[in-house]
Amino acid sequence: MARRDIEVLFRTPWIIISRGLAFIIQLFVFATLISRLVSVSGFFQYYAVGSIISMVASISFIIGYDIFEEAEEGVLDYLLTLPVSRRQFIIGRALGGAIRALIYVTPMFAVVAIIEGFAQPASLAAAMAYLFLLAFGVTGLSITVAVSVRSANRFDVFLALMELAIVRASTALYPISFMPSYVASIAPFSPVSFASNGARSLLLGPGLDLSTLAGLLAFVVVFLGLGAAFYFRKLEGGVYA
Amino acid sequence: MTALADNFRIASNIVQRDIKILFSDSFLVAIMFANFAIDLFVTAATFGRLVPPSSGIPSYFQFIAPGSNFVTCSVAAFQSGRDIWRERYIKDLTSYLLSLPASRRLWSVSRVAGGVARSLIATFPGTLTICYLYGILLDPRILGAFSIVGLFSLGVVGISMAVSAYASSIEVFVTVRSTVQLYFSFFSTLFFSPDVFPSFLRPIVLANPMTWAVEAFRQLSKPGVGLGPASVLVVPSLAFAALGTIVYLYHNQL
Repeated sequence: MARRDIEVLFRTPWIIISRGLAFIIQLFVFATLISRLVSVSGFFQYYAVGSIISMVASISFIIGYDIFEEAEEGVLDYLLTLPVSRRQFIIGRALGGAIRALIYVTPMFAVVAIIEGFAQPASLAAAMAYLFLLAFGVTGLSITVAVSVRSANRFDVFLALMELAIVRASTALYPISFMPSYVASIAPFSPVSFASNGARSLLLGPGLDLSTLAGLLAFVVVFLGLGAAFYFRKLEGGVYA
Repeated sequence: MTALADNFRIASNIVQRDIKILFSDSFLVAIMFANFAIDLFVTAATFGRLVPPSSGIPSYFQFIAPGSNFVTCSVAAFQSGRDIWRERYIKDLTSYLLSLPASRRLWSVSRVAGGVARSLIATFPGTLTICYLYGILLDPRILGAFSIVGLFSLGVVGISMAVSAYASSIEVFVTVRSTVQLYFSFFSTLFFSPDVFPSFLRPIVLANPMTWAVEAFRQLSKPGVGLGPASVLVVPSLAFAALGTIVYLYHNQL
């Protein structure tokens, strides 16, 4: 199931091209120019790590579009006839969504690591683990939305709004000290904040931050659980087969 | 005279139909405003604090605020093209629409007008918010603000109608939309003044309709109405609207 989801993403070159282009422009045009204007030193470095985190969240959301489309086009019925248990099916979807997001951002992460000189293998591996956890949790969130919203138009814009909200109201792209108080009070609880604070702590110092890891794990458990429960309910009416 | 009145009545029916499609799900309009609110009150407000007046821009928040509204405007304008794409490929309505008593040329022009009307409605609260921030809410210059938004959306509706004719799948349509929006946002003066860009990028920035839309809006904060940037915007807007009209017309000559 996971391999199929990975292949599905890489069979849609348009999505890969547009998101890749967005990353390149954000990093090499926007971040370069804005870092000359802002009052924070090292803002480019800050933004570069954050742009990877926001890209992981963005790609992880795509699994919801796939699941919604499959249900609309009747492919889901075919998938359910395959010889895999429902539990394997759901975990496979979530795992596939997370792994493909990680595969997708790895070259971008490599570019940022080279530019910024991140060379500690242990820190890089631990930062990748943070990215994986974020991707896993966002996949669960996306599946939850995909099986809860019925209208195609609503689903499309609602998911885009959710993506915008959890990325913008987080510490991915700017430090919390510069946010207006109404955003600063909620930003620390965004899963994207947990991931970006944790990854920055690993890559730029001081090291592993257990509080961000705990926050991210809680997000994964809650939304993966919810996503699985909602998806299962949609497939089997809540009755375990 | 009767023919003119008939044409006007039909055109107004087509525009009304497009507006009704927009409001068939008012949730979507609310979400568009929510997007604008996040852009303005989260992202722009934070960058406004990050960029100090010593950068040469007295208030960066006010500087980038009109951009949030124009981004929403381009989303709303592209929604028109998307609806036309859905009519053609998903709902298979083209033949039915062509059987209605309206000439194809009138249909085409009215669809563009409908798209502009929808964009103006979708950005209405946003335009009022930016006018409030610019201190022109109770000033005749507010009419200039709506004219600039309408002019910008005219061009984007044209682009979206042209794209909808050639996009073979919704993925292609969405990708072109994202690419155009990337160009609008990052290669314009939405975030930076032109002198901040490297010299090789400046021609691209100056050719961007978003540049002239935000510059025209920024002019409104000054006393008197400066028509310079707005008059530059007229050319690409009319050109893209003409392109959208012609492409729509061409693709409906079954």
